Amino acid sequence: MTAPLPRASRPVAGGPLATGATVLRAGVQTTVQDAGRRVRALGVPAGGAADPVARRLANALVGNAPDAAGLEVTLGGPTVLFHEAALVSLCGAPFDATLDGAPLPLWRAVPVQTGQTLTVGGTARGLRAFLAVRGALHGHEVFGSRATDLRAGFGGVQGRALRPGDHLTWSPLPAQAARRAFIAPDLRTPTGPHHELRVLGTGDLTADLRDSLLARPFTVSPQADRMGARLTESVAAPRDPTRPSVPNVPGLLQLPPDGRPILLLPDAGTHGGYPTPLVVITADLPRLGQLRPGDTLTLREVTREDAHAAHLAQERALRQAEWMLRQAVVSGK
Amino acid sequence: MPAPSGPDLPTFEWLGDAALNVRTPLARELYASLRAHPLPGVQEAVPALDLLTLLLDAPTAGEAVQETVAARLATLTPAPGGSGRRVVVPVTFGGPDLDWCAAHAGLDRAAFVAALCAAQLEVAFLGFTPGFAFLTGLPEPLRMPRLDAPRERVPAGSVALGGPWAGVYPRETPGGWRLVGRTAMNFFDLSRAAPVPWQPGDRVQFEARA
Repeated sequence: MTAPLPRASRPVAGGPLATGATVLRAGVQTTVQDAGRRVRALGVPAGGAADPVARRLANALVGNAPDAAGLEVTLGGPTVLFHEAALVSLCGAPFDATLDGAPLPLWRAVPVQTGQTLTVGGTARGLRAFLAVRGALHGHEVFGSRATDLRAGFGGVQGRALRPGDHLTWSPLPAQAARRAFIAPDLRTPTGPHHELRVLGTGDLTADLRDSLLARPFTVSPQADRMGARLTESVAAPRDPTRPSVPNVPGLLQLPPDGRPILLLPDAGTHGGYPTPLVVITADLPRLGQLRPGDTLTLREVTREDAHAAHLAQERALRQAEWMLRQAVVSGK
Repeated sequence: MPAPSGPDLPTFEWLGDAALNVRTPLARELYASLRAHPLPGVQEAVPALDLLTLLLDAPTAGEAVQETVAARLATLTPAPGGSGRRVVVPVTFGGPDLDWCAAHAGLDRAAFVAALCAAQLEVAFLGFTPGFAFLTGLPEPLRMPRLDAPRERVPAGSVALGGPWAGVYPRETPGGWRLVGRTAMNFFDLSRAAPVPWQPGDRVQFEARA
């Protein structure tokens, strides 16, 4: 019951596929994502792009709102045939990408002509990238967001990862020329293979846990998805079966009874009953989206003042970059 | 520190740099109040038992939010009547753990079902999975120990007991609670205007169906 694979040679002008784009190859796990939703109080996970810096800069490059929906590419990317001209940008891990066989530069706005095929291959470092299309991708909107929730099966394209034959559409916006724009490399989310994540302790952080969690490197296990990244090495975990379920926050480090820590990503459940001794600081949350199985990481405790300063510095730099890219749109340069 | 203290005074605890835990017996009332009148700086409020986690717009918003939340709490009074809404859940009893639970409660099957249907339950908070509600108010004999090893698959619509809680699994998920029945009621349906039909403070009653 699979849809016939459209071919690049098939004439599409005038047909129902004369707009948008068709997915020819789906990639490992390609989903529609945006900034996510805010209905945890209904038990609904936040969702949204796992590397929000990549999402914001990719959208800014094509003149979209910062929270606009695009494609989140994981490990191996899709091949997409465009039935209409578009302006796209790919930001995040250094994926190999081509447009009709020619290398597609990352961190740039790139015009795509009708009939061209965009192929996103693999990446040697990091895990994810965000492909923005000027006008923002359409998708099933649930609680104010088009983000795909894979576990609950809603949002995006039928609540699932892309499949060959899927048809992607976006909203028309006045055409915009691709301008030369340079995004400072230090704004980009680092992509390993070693990560240092800055963390803050919670009420669950005991002296023993501080010693065992902060003193050594951990390895990202193959169990790393949009819900969480499990680490390979275990520590002695406190056990408390009567512990009540409490709300989760982004970047929480959960310690299940087997002692192998889990760093929570955007699709994590809204509440959890395991001890959560550490939280990754806001400025380092985008790095969680680039944790790749086999990468190593260390956790470094900082003060709340350090965390605030890091967030302010990152936000200032990001907003300045977004503002400059938008100014260029307004002036049409 | 000579700060005033007492069982009803809120305590604030940072959870990372962009979230605050507010512990207060008025957590449910505070959640309702923040929904009706949002506070600047608070992006989202997530309830749990006697706890409200506030996700902040920016890490730096915390100090100001703490003061405004304390001020808001001072205007609230306990609302023992809950939301005033009542949700009746029709249940076909007979899950795989029903007999075990009845025996654990020291009752026969019919008496156990009658006791469960007589219980005045209330939605404490939602979480775990979309539409899942933690229902409080189980009388002591009906509180069941969780399974030692969770089932990998609990069917959608399963009515379950775990620790002090009762609940209904809205979709097939893993689960460690004791299964005593099924309901056809759907607690997460995106085709409805309100996909989730209950909210904290709602009174809940199980009703036995053949």
